Amino acid sequence: MAAMIEAGLKRAHFKDVRLPVLLLLPQLAILLFFFFIPSFRALGQAFFLSDPFGNTVHFVGFDNFAQLLQSDTYHESGRVTVVFTILQNLLTLAVALVLAFASDRVIRGRGIYKAIILLPYAIAPVIAGILWAFLFNPAVGPLAQLLHAIGLAWDPNRVGSDAMILVILAASWKHVCYDYIFLLAGLLAVPSSLLEAAAVDGAGPLRRFFTIGLPLLMPTMFFLAVMNFVYGFFEIFAIVDAVTQGGPAGATNVLVFKVYVDGFINLDLGSSAAQSVILMVFALLMTLLQFRYVERRVSYDV
Amino acid sequence: MKIQRRSTLAMLALSSTLWLAGAMPAAAQPVQVQWWHAMGGALGERVEELVKNFNGSQNKYAVTAVYKGNYDEVINGTIAAYRAKRAPALVQIYERGFMTMLLSDATMPVQDLLDQRGYKIDWADFVKPVAGFYSYKGKLMTMPFNSSSPILWYNKAHFEKAGFAKPAETWQELEKQLYAIKQKGISACGSVLAGDYHWSLLENYSAINDLPYATKANGYQGLDTEFVYNKTSVVSQVARIKKWIDDDVMQIAGQGLSPEQLFTSGKCSTYFASTAAHSGIERESKIDWSATYLPWEEGKQPKNSTIGGASLWVMKGQKPAEYEAVAAFLAYIAKPETQFWWVKATGYVPLTNKAYELARSQGYYKEHPTREIAILQLTRGTPTANSTGFHFGNFTQTMMAQRDEFQNVVAGKKTPQAAMDDAVKRGNEILRQYEKLNKGRY
Repeated sequence: MAAMIEAGLKRAHFKDVRLPVLLLLPQLAILLFFFFIPSFRALGQAFFLSDPFGNTVHFVGFDNFAQLLQSDTYHESGRVTVVFTILQNLLTLAVALVLAFASDRVIRGRGIYKAIILLPYAIAPVIAGILWAFLFNPAVGPLAQLLHAIGLAWDPNRVGSDAMILVILAASWKHVCYDYIFLLAGLLAVPSSLLEAAAVDGAGPLRRFFTIGLPLLMPTMFFLAVMNFVYGFFEIFAIVDAVTQGGPAGATNVLVFKVYVDGFINLDLGSSAAQSVILMVFALLMTLLQFRYVERRVSYDV
Repeated sequence: MKIQRRSTLAMLALSSTLWLAGAMPAAAQPVQVQWWHAMGGALGERVEELVKNFNGSQNKYAVTAVYKGNYDEVINGTIAAYRAKRAPALVQIYERGFMTMLLSDATMPVQDLLDQRGYKIDWADFVKPVAGFYSYKGKLMTMPFNSSSPILWYNKAHFEKAGFAKPAETWQELEKQLYAIKQKGISACGSVLAGDYHWSLLENYSAINDLPYATKANGYQGLDTEFVYNKTSVVSQVARIKKWIDDDVMQIAGQGLSPEQLFTSGKCSTYFASTAAHSGIERESKIDWSATYLPWEEGKQPKNSTIGGASLWVMKGQKPAEYEAVAAFLAYIAKPETQFWWVKATGYVPLTNKAYELARSQGYYKEHPTREIAILQLTRGTPTANSTGFHFGNFTQTMMAQRDEFQNVVAGKKTPQAAMDDAVKRGNEILRQYEKLNKGRY
């Protein structure tokens, strides 16, 4: 039945093929020039050892990949990335959930709260990174002084775990708004009849949230978890660059930052391309996962 | 049919514009060339001024200076442009990129260019450590531009208060002074770690103390060079820095804050950094500062330091007229008067002895004694194989590996010896990769 309606919908529009193709063209062109062509070039580059100017090129087969798999720094970078994405994911979701729950409860001035919570999304990642790096700078940062005052030897310049915490905080702060807006929309979509019935039965707001709101939010949460992973894996570059530059001693050298450093600072294009290819494969897997499991479970007719 | 007519019209329009452009009198249109550089802020303004002065000095050529971001961004932009066959005529590349540029097959030796165009440049007059760094087989490959050397900046008031006239000459004595300053509560930190500490505290440390950094005269004599700094007192130097940091005698500024600010605000008493910091420190500083030579190890006869900064590379694939313009501009830069102006404006060292003489004869260094330290330090004694300079392929990459290992020491994860061993091991692998790529080309 649903399939028939869908097919009917599709037939109703676009009798002629030319218009939809025309409408798709700009997007396809962008994909071609900014994704497919660079991707294939990266794929090619990954099998060569080359001088950055491209005048001396040796075919080395899978050497670049083999070197990466043997490299301790690459393993460490992978480990750091996993730790970072998991923690960042949990923190972002948890904070966004609390904020969404809280602003769902608020009646007066809800718009203002929403606007304030959404603000960080409008700030450029580099600016966000510099802000956090400065606030927690052990020499001059006001928040670092606060930590020192309560007896914590906070020093992200030297202690890897401190640097990691700082990057996670900055990255989550920047991304909470994204999760928040989805969760808030999800909460608003919870049928009020269910909530009212529960309220009549004597369930408090927290209880209603945990037994009715949260289960209904699960598909959204799963979707957000995947999006957060993608964010943590691929979009974190600017923040790491501004907050720690991957240091100290590689403690925050996440894979995507390593691709940048090896390619654009070290000019080791072969290795950088091989790393991009590995990341690209990973991105494909994430997308597949999302389509196979998440898209099916998300119910749009709430 | 309609389409055809339209394209004919377009052709007509195009050819008439071309014809118009061709018909313009040649003299009225100076030859335009682009120069990509990495000088931001106050230095960027000086570069603009330099270009304006050159363009105003004649009417045949017009150089346009384009700020392309930091050194890494300029070399990346150059590579991308070169691969797209749209490279600018002139690019400013940092000294660490020397081997990358030299063996890239994408550049043209400046000495050849200027000689062929009939400019009489006294190549022997270039300051030795500067020319030595940028030469290959006795020929200057790239025009030295902004050359600097690290010096020791200090807060005069802090030292006087602690009862010292000035910082001591040796590391051992200086260490005692910094600890005394800390113990007397005169300043929160004796020193602040500069962003390019590997250059001042490890590389130049090796040169000044005449220690081998790598085999084959630090890479001057072959691509099969290997790092050996893990076998010298670089290891104890790393241990010393680590101890200072642990004892809170040295601070790391970290991200979000420039180390220079910790010095100029009077928080830290000393700062090991480039002489090029003059323009910044003179403008920002609220303290009574001075500067002196980098310290050396007790009992050693100090050698010359080596340079940092950048040079100007001429890219292949330009038109003859554009090379005329580039040659004229480079000859202008090499003039003692231009050099003197640049030295005064920025704090970089003069590139030629004539320029240095000019600055001295005009009494410039009497008024600004700290400006002379770098050049005196660069020309101190006779350079040895250990102090001539550093020519490593993939130099940035080996340096990043070294930084990484240094951070392991500071974090307490590795001993200085283990970390420097690993840095050398990683660095040598990177050197071998470069050797493999460029076999038989050096």
